Amino acid sequence: MPQVLLAVFVGMVTASSVIGWLTNQVVTSVYDRTFAAGLTTQPNPFSAVSPLYYAKNTVIYIILIGALLAIVLGVQSTIRDRKAHTFDLVLSRPVRPASYLGAKLAGLLCWVAGILALSALISWTSISAIVGSVLSPGDTARLLGFYALAWLFLLPFIILGMLTGVYSRRETTALLVPIVIWSVVTFVVPQLGTAAHPVSLLNPVPAIASQGGVFQLANLVLGPLSLTEHFKQASAFVLGDTATTGSPLLSLVVMVAFAGCMLVVLLTTQRDRMRSPLDE
Amino acid sequence: MNDTAIKTTELSHSYGPKAALKGLNLSVGEGEIFGLLGHNGAGKTTAVSLLTTLIPPTEGTATILGLDIHADADEVRRTIGYLPENVQFYGNLTLLENLRFFARLSGLDKPDARIREVLEFLDFTGHESERLSTFSKGMRQRVGIAQSILHNPKVLFLDEPTSGLDPQGVRNLREIILNLNRHFGMTIFMNTHLLAEVTQTCTSIGVLREGELVYQDSLAATLTAFPDEASLEDIYLHIEARPER
Amino acid sequence: MNSLLVIARRELTDLKRTRFYLILFGFLAVVMILSVIVASFDFRAKIGDYNLYLDTLRRSGSTETPPAPQLFPLQLLRGSIEYLELIGALFAIIIGYGTVAKEKQHGTLHLIFTRPVSRFTVAGGKVLAFAVAWAVVTAGVFVAMIAALLVIGNAPLQLIDFERLALTAIIAWLYLMLWSCVAMGLAARARRASTGLIVALVAWLVVVLIIPQIGDTMDPDNQVPGGLFKSLAVAKPDEKAVMANFAGFDDIRNGLEVSSITKHFERPAFALLGIKDQYNQQPVGDVWASMLPYTITLTLAFMGAVGFTALATTKRALLRRES
Repeated sequence: MPQVLLAVFVGMVTASSVIGWLTNQVVTSVYDRTFAAGLTTQPNPFSAVSPLYYAKNTVIYIILIGALLAIVLGVQSTIRDRKAHTFDLVLSRPVRPASYLGAKLAGLLCWVAGILALSALISWTSISAIVGSVLSPGDTARLLGFYALAWLFLLPFIILGMLTGVYSRRETTALLVPIVIWSVVTFVVPQLGTAAHPVSLLNPVPAIASQGGVFQLANLVLGPLSLTEHFKQASAFVLGDTATTGSPLLSLVVMVAFAGCMLVVLLTTQRDRMRSPLDE
Repeated sequence: MNDTAIKTTELSHSYGPKAALKGLNLSVGEGEIFGLLGHNGAGKTTAVSLLTTLIPPTEGTATILGLDIHADADEVRRTIGYLPENVQFYGNLTLLENLRFFARLSGLDKPDARIREVLEFLDFTGHESERLSTFSKGMRQRVGIAQSILHNPKVLFLDEPTSGLDPQGVRNLREIILNLNRHFGMTIFMNTHLLAEVTQTCTSIGVLREGELVYQDSLAATLTAFPDEASLEDIYLHIEARPER
Repeated sequence: MNSLLVIARRELTDLKRTRFYLILFGFLAVVMILSVIVASFDFRAKIGDYNLYLDTLRRSGSTETPPAPQLFPLQLLRGSIEYLELIGALFAIIIGYGTVAKEKQHGTLHLIFTRPVSRFTVAGGKVLAFAVAWAVVTAGVFVAMIAALLVIGNAPLQLIDFERLALTAIIAWLYLMLWSCVAMGLAARARRASTGLIVALVAWLVVVLIIPQIGDTMDPDNQVPGGLFKSLAVAKPDEKAVMANFAGFDDIRNGLEVSSITKHFERPAFALLGIKDQYNQQPVGDVWASMLPYTITLTLAFMGAVGFTALATTKRALLRRES
């Protein structure tokens, strides 16, 4: 069934450039009218917007659909082995658990890289079609950089799925626990740090932290755990969104740290744990 | 010959294009213990599913104590008991809660006295408030038998009742089946692979091959009809190997 | 006892004793309460900012006193309602799926259908169990939110506020029931219950997250951190005047949003609780009347979901062999 999620993901990536372009057209008109009515003297924040701006909704689709797809892929890859007892067979051979899980992860990462490469091609083609000219090498490199970031962002979710597939007693739990963790990372942690409303966090524009003392402290403590907000931050930088503030390097470091920690947890999984039977 | 408990006429069922049961004509007398034999995929479970009203026949008819399995389905359900293969019941509920649930679905409004009676008959008292998630396979099988006889059915269907049981469990179950038949005159219809059990339990047998009934007779007649075969296992394999009629 | 009630009672006992479900409900209550806490602190921070601004004005010799931020306690529930629409719907799916998946895995359906039960007994019993379970959970989380408002938000609630909360709880119940019924129907229809779960999760993703998200990101004001009009220093009345010229675009955007049933829960909930400014402090009757079309569509969708699950949860569908 990941095929359905995959179809939704590719469909939304295709649609996102059109949505981005349409929104940009309207926003520019809104600004022009506001300026013409003498209601503002501020410069148009969208006058020098990069064509890659049109792809910014893709950031959210990677957070929403990509992460869920990664979780489902991860869960299925390990739970299938437990259901069919193939873990027992493999581990009765001279194979270390770390090697086996690492190899499974490598396979999944290749698969995800393939999907993201396809998405990059779709984005590149649709944006080129919208702007009426082929994207410049610089913009192409930025787009590729964004999809590389997406790959890095999805890595911990694949591993999370694999781990719950190994540790859970039931298939439903294996699927639901990472989705709950994803919802905590996507909605709860950023909300605690910024006072943003959960639904507004689905906007590709990163949330601005509330300035109250409590929130400054909460943001300091929880900020590094807001993986999705860091992905938005780093993506905005790579896609050339000048309106976004914050340190892209810090965001990159957080994403690498998340991926690294999850990798360590996966590779230290015990043999006994992998062989534990499912309840259903 | 006793009155007929189960009678099927050209009973057939197909799963899509695949015919699982082809024109079954079978008759089981009241008070018999009938064993339906056959390889995996021969159509045994389909036959039981039809007779227990779980699936409708594609063609043909069947009656249980004169009641049509299609037209009088609810009456048939009140008349029969059923234990499917590998049923696990509700692990979060206690033994008593599980049995109350099935008793009430069978129409017993105040089932506790009857549950106690059945558990005593099965020598299974003392576990009433334990959750089924803690029960062994053998214990669950007793729960299965208990729920199937709570409403005093006249005909009992057992699908692979000994599947997964240890030798002691198999022996206990055999005793229960024989007691149900002896004490309550219950007609018992069971699917099984364990031919040794059939020899010790059944009064008549039938053999299904690829959805068709290729043999039916009493156990005693069967054992004498094949003097060259040393055991029921040999007889069964002989019947299975015979060319199609 | 009627067979339908027997099945409903067993489902409720099972739900009550499944630790996993209790953890889910607990998690939902915790995030909803946390959201009230965050909103309360945010309000306090705004009051702090206001006092600071007032001090600065006084020091500069100004006698002007700008209006203080006013606390409308029910507005603190915005995040909680959003959690209910996002995470509540997800948990409703899990519960709806679980009730069929467990029976399929444990083989108990074969036993139930060899008892004299009518065509809709199994589906009806399960839906009745959801109705009771969601009534209890909805009441529980709303009581928890009220307690959080009173204790943490230090918010004085009037009788009328309880009326608003009760009406919101009723539409929340309809919304959660809808998702449980859809998931149960899908799990029953699918040859493998887990396939039904993934289809339901995809539906959740599209209906609850993606469609409202598209509508949200197409909002011109959401294109700049903190809001476009705020960054351009444009006041609210002027913003409305400008946006009146883009009614066509806004209609499309709105049409897209209301194609998600989630918005038919969110909009009446936000209106009743006064989260949407235009409905704040308006008489309940007027708000209810304005929101009636959404409430009607939500009710129709709920009835459709119940109908779907009743028709999908048949003996034939449930006893189909897994492939």
